[in-house]
Amino acid sequence: METNFIFAGFGGQGILLAGTILANAFMIEGKNVTWYPCYGAEMRGGTVNCEIVVSDSEVSSVHKQDTDYAIVLNQQSFDRFVQRVKAGGTIVANSTLVEETRPRNDIKYVFVPMTKLANDLGTSKVTNVVSLGALASVCPIVKKEFLAKGVEKVLGAKKKDLIPLNMKALEASSEGAVV
Amino acid sequence: MTDNNEKVLIKGNYAIAQAAVNAGCQCYFGYPITPQTEIGEYLSGKMQELGRAYVCAESELGAINMVMGAAATGVKAMTSSSSCAISLMQEALSYASSDELPVVVVNVMRTGPGLGYIYPAQGDYNQAVYGGGNGDYNLIVLAPSTVQECVDLTYRAFYLAQKYRNPVMLLADGLLGQMMEPASFGEYPYPEVDVSSWALTGAKDREARKIYSVATDEKKQIQHICDLHRKFEIIAENETTYEEYETDDADIVLVAFGSMTRNIKAAMKVLRNKGIKAGCFRPVTLNPFPHKQIHNLAKQGKDFVVVEMNMGQMFKDVKYAVEGLSKVSLVNRACGEWLSVEEIVSSVENVLKGGRQLTASL
Repeated sequence: METNFIFAGFGGQGILLAGTILANAFMIEGKNVTWYPCYGAEMRGGTVNCEIVVSDSEVSSVHKQDTDYAIVLNQQSFDRFVQRVKAGGTIVANSTLVEETRPRNDIKYVFVPMTKLANDLGTSKVTNVVSLGALASVCPIVKKEFLAKGVEKVLGAKKKDLIPLNMKALEASSEGAVV
Repeated sequence: MTDNNEKVLIKGNYAIAQAAVNAGCQCYFGYPITPQTEIGEYLSGKMQELGRAYVCAESELGAINMVMGAAATGVKAMTSSSSCAISLMQEALSYASSDELPVVVVNVMRTGPGLGYIYPAQGDYNQAVYGGGNGDYNLIVLAPSTVQECVDLTYRAFYLAQKYRNPVMLLADGLLGQMMEPASFGEYPYPEVDVSSWALTGAKDREARKIYSVATDEKKQIQHICDLHRKFEIIAENETTYEEYETDDADIVLVAFGSMTRNIKAAMKVLRNKGIKAGCFRPVTLNPFPHKQIHNLAKQGKDFVVVEMNMGQMFKDVKYAVEGLSKVSLVNRACGEWLSVEEIVSSVENVLKGGRQLTASL
């Protein structure tokens, strides 16, 4: 059984890092996982995305045409990836920057004001980790305990002081914020 | 970064770089190019830390010649680059083959011909396997399919280069270089090869040695070329490696190399669920190529579908191995988006319906 996730947003929103944390969380849980970044001539301020595939057996194709979950942090990414969610799949959107529209009726929509929740914690820099918390609240195979371990692993010893803030960010969307 | 058995989530490029460090690579010379720049980036810091040599060369031509110089002294040396810049190294690879220098070259393939764009591709198969330099020579070519194999085959590349005094190319692709996957490094698993009988280490207290690629006597030149080829026969005998999945009862065998292997394995499962007896075959060494094994499968009446990201390069090797005993079809795309599992499945179904050879275009 394979499940895939696309994270997308502006360059600078921590998209690749969010994907890296999720991939580490799956690895720590003992699953097979791959992470593949969008690949092209990218620039600062442009859009960025990465794809994570998790599987109980070997991961097959690391870059798929459609996705089970899309986690989108800006409007352009919503417009682009809402079309690539599988029927029955879920899009998790940052409603601070994304208009709450529902262009298809065969997928689930989860709107969370991620940038606002991050700002409430003191910095918009943790928007990406807020998005991971939001994902965990709607996706049963993404578990917060492993995300927390993933955060610790990725931030490591060098950025240890940032771990408590990121743990709060992971919980931020649990407090009734998921729409 | 770690060098023990703990699994780390790591990019293919970084995995190759750290594996080279673990393998005892003393010298890295290179010039940046997407999609393999992380290899040089990583080693620029690591080699300095370890007191080993790192030079960002003035050009690819400079880099490969520096590798030849270092390898001639018997130390493990490597360069890495991508497609259009690997082309710039072909003359040196011909010389290194004739000089029998244990150089290791990593090619993280992008699109060609010419400059090409940075899309991943598998279009350098012919250049790697048949050679882009002059003369009769053979590189040992290893093709990893996962990040773990980026580690394992980098280890093997250093070992085989010294064991046989033959240049080795690790043929990866942009997808593998850029993706992350859990991998563990363990220890370098091969014994150290004694190079003292040939390495140029200074002639104090011994007779002087020379390594060169020309024999001005016709007989000696013929002998040298024949010796190189005899050596490669031994390499083919001992080092040809491949993987087979569910070929025993298969009617149709999907063949791929490198990271496309992942997709054919998944396609095989889908086909089997649909009642089609599919198997997979994957050469790990592209040169020496597992001709014999493919031929034996053909003798059992199995048909083949070669799936690759080029216009049908390995396809010809499979056909050559099959020798007309069964049907060989091609499913391919020139570059960019890897053929999806769904595309492979529907293409194979088409082939089975008697459809003609397929080329997936845009």
